[in-house]
Amino acid sequence: MAHIELDNITKKFNKVTALNNISLEVKDKEFFVLFGPAGAGKTTILKTIAGIEFPNEGLVKIDKEIVNLIEPAKRNVSMVFENYALYPHISVYDNIASPMRSPLYKKDEEFIKKEVYRVASMMKIDHLMDRLPSQLSNGQRQRVALGRCLVREPNVFLMDEPLAHLDAKLRHFMRAELKEMQSSFNTTTIYVTHDYLEALSLGDRIGIINNGAIEQVGTADEVYYTPANEFVARLIGEPEINIFNVDLVNDNGKLKVNMLGQDRLFQLEDEVIGTLAKHDNEIVDLGIRGTNISYSLGKEDDDYIKGIVYSLEPIGNKSVLIVNVNDELIRLIAPNNLQAKLDSEIYIKIDMKNALFFDSEDKTFIIRNNQERLIKGMA
Amino acid sequence: MDRHRMRILGKIGRNTLLAIYAIFALFPLLWMIIITFKSDTEMYTTTFFFKPTLDNYVEVLLKTNYFKAFLDNIIVSSGAVIISVIVGVPAAYALARYNFKRKEDLAFTILSFRFAPEILVILPLFMIYQQLGIYDTYFGLIWVYQLITLPLLIWVLRGYFEDISVEVEQAAQLDGYSWYHVFWKILLPLIKPGLVASALLSFIFAWNSFTFPLLLNGFKIETVTVASLKYIASDTVHYGQMAVASTIAALPEVILALIIQKHLVRGLSFGAVKG
Repeated sequence: MAHIELDNITKKFNKVTALNNISLEVKDKEFFVLFGPAGAGKTTILKTIAGIEFPNEGLVKIDKEIVNLIEPAKRNVSMVFENYALYPHISVYDNIASPMRSPLYKKDEEFIKKEVYRVASMMKIDHLMDRLPSQLSNGQRQRVALGRCLVREPNVFLMDEPLAHLDAKLRHFMRAELKEMQSSFNTTTIYVTHDYLEALSLGDRIGIINNGAIEQVGTADEVYYTPANEFVARLIGEPEINIFNVDLVNDNGKLKVNMLGQDRLFQLEDEVIGTLAKHDNEIVDLGIRGTNISYSLGKEDDDYIKGIVYSLEPIGNKSVLIVNVNDELIRLIAPNNLQAKLDSEIYIKIDMKNALFFDSEDKTFIIRNNQERLIKGMA
Repeated sequence: MDRHRMRILGKIGRNTLLAIYAIFALFPLLWMIIITFKSDTEMYTTTFFFKPTLDNYVEVLLKTNYFKAFLDNIIVSSGAVIISVIVGVPAAYALARYNFKRKEDLAFTILSFRFAPEILVILPLFMIYQQLGIYDTYFGLIWVYQLITLPLLIWVLRGYFEDISVEVEQAAQLDGYSWYHVFWKILLPLIKPGLVASALLSFIFAWNSFTFPLLLNGFKIETVTVASLKYIASDTVHYGQMAVASTIAALPEVILALIIQKHLVRGLSFGAVKG
């Protein structure tokens, strides 16, 4: 139950800068997800908050109080480590009980027993209590680590990829469980993941990290519909968003785009024209997600663009179809029953209502259609 | 059928080889024990038939100051090991966990204590000890034994500490334990097999040390290894008495090894972190 603030944190490991002047605010009782590729600095942020890594510069504040000089034990934070960090020489029960037996957070044994069994049954590991960590599978170890974290009532839960090693079914179950728990616990949680589905489904807000810097902080809707830049757009969504150059052309006083080497110009939505007209560069990047492209085997109207089937990859309940249009590979979603031969002709139509526009030089977000209505409560 | 026969032949061959090796390894010890019961006149007979006598034991244990040597040996050897443990465990931890300038050089220097044969450094040591006035003292011998015991302990334990993921320590800190609690409750149990094994080995090396106690001690302090030499008289060598002295000198090592055998288990530290 605490408000966490990072103030211009810089952390260097020898000459490598892991965190570059990061400022971040996590509200009380918020479920905050840190999301980014491997090596982005997510774990370092968690360890900095926990106090087991010391920032070279900047302040860490818990509940407005500067904690830079407070020992990790006294910060009352609970953390799940990515490599579990279980105590190898004691049983699962003792591992989970460990935080409640420490001098600082001591509880009586009866209470400990009740609590340990409570979290163990939640994690579905109550049949493993007498085993040593070495006698468990990776998924079981991860659940023990999660149990040891959740058994406490700390200022903040720090979770470093707590579901990464569970099988898909269990991961879905635990994700729902965590979300449920979050609403009943009322505890601030900072959750690190590299799975965008986890990030979107769990986070009240999501912070996207890359190369030790924050790219964007926002709700799931914000980062999905209005990514701050092309990096964020590419990171979120499956298949990866399509981004390609388009030319802005003034067609008798109305702004249109020329794209993918086509002869004709494509209409733009009225809402975006104003902003794009003010943009001083004639070339912008257009981003369009695979779900917003439709396809047809024949040219149904002028908006359909001819391409060649490059690959068709089934991913469960749907397929990812990749179409080659003038050497630009466009990824889109198709139903599983699509019968398309490789290298055969196909026509695709880009739904301009859902197009995102980025600056083609600094790759930052410019505008999209329907922005205000998609993002509830966004300024 | 053929395969079955091959397997039996293989088993026989393996066991025969093992038996030959066991005899090769154990026979000298057995012979030593047999010698202790022989009188000097029968010493050079190679048959197993002789008239057993306890004269050698009486001679060594009751008529010489062998017990004093035995006690001295216990004092200097265990003293050396205790100090090595007290100094070596934190040193090994520091070498495993912290980064400081010239860390590897320091570790190598510690290891290099074992490079030179003892006889090579004994002359300067002898003169230094004379000057410092620690010649023929417990302190002097315990100190010089650190050259034997400390490098072994530090290098074995450093490996054990490195095997423990640093996150395990961090997790314990977040659980609310102070560094001392973490050390006693988490680290010590995990390095215990290594600590026990290396302390035992150190003890054996210190116990069996010969050059240092021979040349750095005078009449006040004597270890069993040096005491065993006394049975080489000017006229004859009392092999029987020497065998008694050696047999008894080997006993503490055997007993210690048997007592702590159950702690010599490896593999506890595996499986706690992601493999």
